[in-house]
Amino acid sequence: MSGTRLWITFLVAAAACVLALMLGRFGAYLMHAVVIASISALALNLLTGFCGQISFAQAALLGVGAYTAGNLGNAGWGILSIPVAGMASAASSALIGLPALRLRGLYFAIATLAAQFIFDYAFKILDPLTHGVSGLLIKPLTILGYVVQSDQAYAVIAIICLFVTWLTMVFIGETTLGRAFLVVRENEIVAKGMGIDVARTKLWAFVISGFFAGVAGALLAFTTRLASPEAFGLSLSIDYVAMIIVGGLGSLPGSLLGAAFVTLLPELIQRVGEALNIADILSAAREMAFGLLIIVFLIFEPRGLSALLHRLASRSQTNIALKTPQPTSERRRSELGLKLEKVE
Amino acid sequence: MLEATGVTIRFGGVVAVDALDVMVRAGEIVALIGPNGAGKTTFINCITGAYLPDDGQVYWKGENIVGLTPNALTRRGIGRTFQNVASLHDLTVLDIVKLGYGLRHSTPLPAVVLNALRGRDPVADELNETLLHPLGLADFRHVPIQSLSYGHRKAVDLARALAAQPQLLLLDEPVAGLSSSEGRSLAALIRRVRDRLGCAVLLIEHKMDIVNSTCDRIIVMAAGAKIFEGLPADVQVDPEVRRVYLGEP
Amino acid sequence: MYALQLATAGLAIGSVYALIAIGVVLIYKCSGVVNFAQGAFVMLGAYFTYAITRLGLTPVIAVFLSTVLMAVAGAATERLVLRPMLKAPVVAIMMVTLGVLIFLRAVALAVWGPDQIAFPKLFPDGAIEIFGIFITYNYLTAGSLSICLALAFLAFYRFTAIGLMQRCTADNSRAALAIGIHTSNQISLAWSMSAGLAGLGGTLLATLNGLSLGLSDIGLIAFPVIVLGGLTSLAGAVVAGLLLGVLQAFTDGLVTPMLEGFLRAYTTIYSVGALQQVLPYALLILVLLVRPQGIFGWRGSERL
Repeated sequence: MSGTRLWITFLVAAAACVLALMLGRFGAYLMHAVVIASISALALNLLTGFCGQISFAQAALLGVGAYTAGNLGNAGWGILSIPVAGMASAASSALIGLPALRLRGLYFAIATLAAQFIFDYAFKILDPLTHGVSGLLIKPLTILGYVVQSDQAYAVIAIICLFVTWLTMVFIGETTLGRAFLVVRENEIVAKGMGIDVARTKLWAFVISGFFAGVAGALLAFTTRLASPEAFGLSLSIDYVAMIIVGGLGSLPGSLLGAAFVTLLPELIQRVGEALNIADILSAAREMAFGLLIIVFLIFEPRGLSALLHRLASRSQTNIALKTPQPTSERRRSELGLKLEKVE
Repeated sequence: MLEATGVTIRFGGVVAVDALDVMVRAGEIVALIGPNGAGKTTFINCITGAYLPDDGQVYWKGENIVGLTPNALTRRGIGRTFQNVASLHDLTVLDIVKLGYGLRHSTPLPAVVLNALRGRDPVADELNETLLHPLGLADFRHVPIQSLSYGHRKAVDLARALAAQPQLLLLDEPVAGLSSSEGRSLAALIRRVRDRLGCAVLLIEHKMDIVNSTCDRIIVMAAGAKIFEGLPADVQVDPEVRRVYLGEP
Repeated sequence: MYALQLATAGLAIGSVYALIAIGVVLIYKCSGVVNFAQGAFVMLGAYFTYAITRLGLTPVIAVFLSTVLMAVAGAATERLVLRPMLKAPVVAIMMVTLGVLIFLRAVALAVWGPDQIAFPKLFPDGAIEIFGIFITYNYLTAGSLSICLALAFLAFYRFTAIGLMQRCTADNSRAALAIGIHTSNQISLAWSMSAGLAGLGGTLLATLNGLSLGLSDIGLIAFPVIVLGGLTSLAGAVVAGLLLGVLQAFTDGLVTPMLEGFLRAYTTIYSVGALQQVLPYALLILVLLVRPQGIFGWRGSERL
């Protein structure tokens, strides 16, 4: 990522903030819902899309972040609640991930499913911390004494957090760790043989991914003002997996697209349903549409929205990437002075 | 520097490697040859930690390296290439070579951030100069390896191993699947790598012409045991070798 | 004595779990896919039975018809949804079965509503006493029917010609194709048998627990069962199902009261909630840590 791209990203974020401030309550609500979902989707994308570890426990991690931030916020920790919630989720994520270090893909996915249920259960019975099934009531976020009340303000805070998350993800992609993630995803055995410390790499994926899930959870806590076990159950985890698959595994913009798609779809259905007057089976219709869309989407474009858009975009350009470059006989020879011949 | 003594590996009733002694000194190019099933790859896999020997020791610069992970070995200066070069999604040549480099050298975080912001990449430039260019990969550095031919992919794998600046390179049939001219180029490259980097090489190979022109010393294995060790010229006339390879009585 | 009582109830429900889990293992062996939609098949089978009895047909015919319908549904799912996804990445395939789960749940919600429905009585009321243990006809028939069916299925798989073809396809589908087995038919067959078993399991579960959308969640119990038993072992699924059923019964009957007594005495925690629901999952993680291949499964190996 060069300095120019950094500036562009910053400008986009700034524009989004301005937009957020101009929107009405509902618009701002939609905006922060999508932005928070994006943060969490990016986090899950790091784990699943980049590092190849399928996880159904994302909702549990969000829940840990939410409960932590809620309790800290209520105790007056203010803005610090958010990063600390992130750390709590990072720790939980590492906890879930530790058994994974020895498990492969499918077994690990099932283990995360189990972890999700276990955390769900913990949320329900750890009454002193979570207020059990009735949920934890959360006071609004305070930043340096100033109480944040409006949806627009929360949208701006969420956008700032998303900006940081995005930069981190892009940055990681350029480090050895980021590359190691990709190799581990493709083939763990090859990764190990190449000399990558697979266990450490995976653990980092869990920790970093968990941290941002916690941040998203914290933001959720302050915007919905309630943390309850049913808000962080398996169906939310499935929503997030859907987001990154629909958006495109391993694609950063894809995660944002997927988050927007999955978050806004119920709203869209709601409007359509109200227009068509089928309000009584509305929630069923939403779920049906969701399930059907996932199925249809995956059958026709398993690589997600970002791949779809990419294909549409590249149709209009000449594709030069795959043409073999000309041999460079003009180039100066190196000290080793050797060339391998090309064989097609 | 690499000293394997009495290494024995059994798989159930089969003795794959039988009390093998192998020594590789600094800067030597040693070939391990033998018919299929002689135990050559098994032995190499033992060095890289995939198998634990039932008997014997493997020492590297005086340290017992039996059972260490490839990661630990890379940090100690042992590198390895593979026969089956996996296609790794859309990782480019430069990505893989940078990865190899990054396993041994870590650039401090602030430097990484600054370089990223300035759009400069000194590591990539250096790697391009010293590794990609000589291997003919410089033009392909941003090409995903899955689009490359087998020969090129092997070259990338070699570059990856070299980027970690190993002191011992384990090559498992490096010229398999390459045309004869490609093979000769690679063989010459191996000699140059040794000459310039001082890297020792232990290679498994079948093609005798490559072996003879490249190696300082040859070890012949058959049925898990060493049946000959010596100079290339002497290998061909040794009666035991002839018996194993050519079926002469 | 109380323990034996619990164990009996546990075995009964465990056999139903076994029936459901066999289906998941069957599909996994054949096509390498974990069918997350199995819970939905469980639920649908129960709802179909209900709907058919509402049409006036006798319970026996209803159960039979609903099983057949589920078998068709299973084959249809395989053809329509899984077949086009053959080349897709594993994550996508898992996700698509989740999509099927979501969709089918929504359909059930739309047609039958979110509330619990009184399930028609398939078995007479009352209980019998054997050696001092009380067991209701419901539990008795559900349990014995399940275990008989499960064992019958194992026998079918092991001893019949079709079973042999199934086993060949499961072991190595390319080799099976090479020797002339119609593997795609076999896979469809596996899906339909699996869905049929799930549907039947759902009907039986509904006689024990009532009919509601929650049946699809109970279907997820198949996962701890198959991990415990071994992802590729049918016999393992049966044994593990029984074990988990008993474990749940013991937890509900013995461990929970003990634990709650302890917690109420020393902490402010009042209830441990549905401990028997979560314990299988804790066990699942334990098994994955200690012996990932389960009781009967084998360790895979990969070539470098």
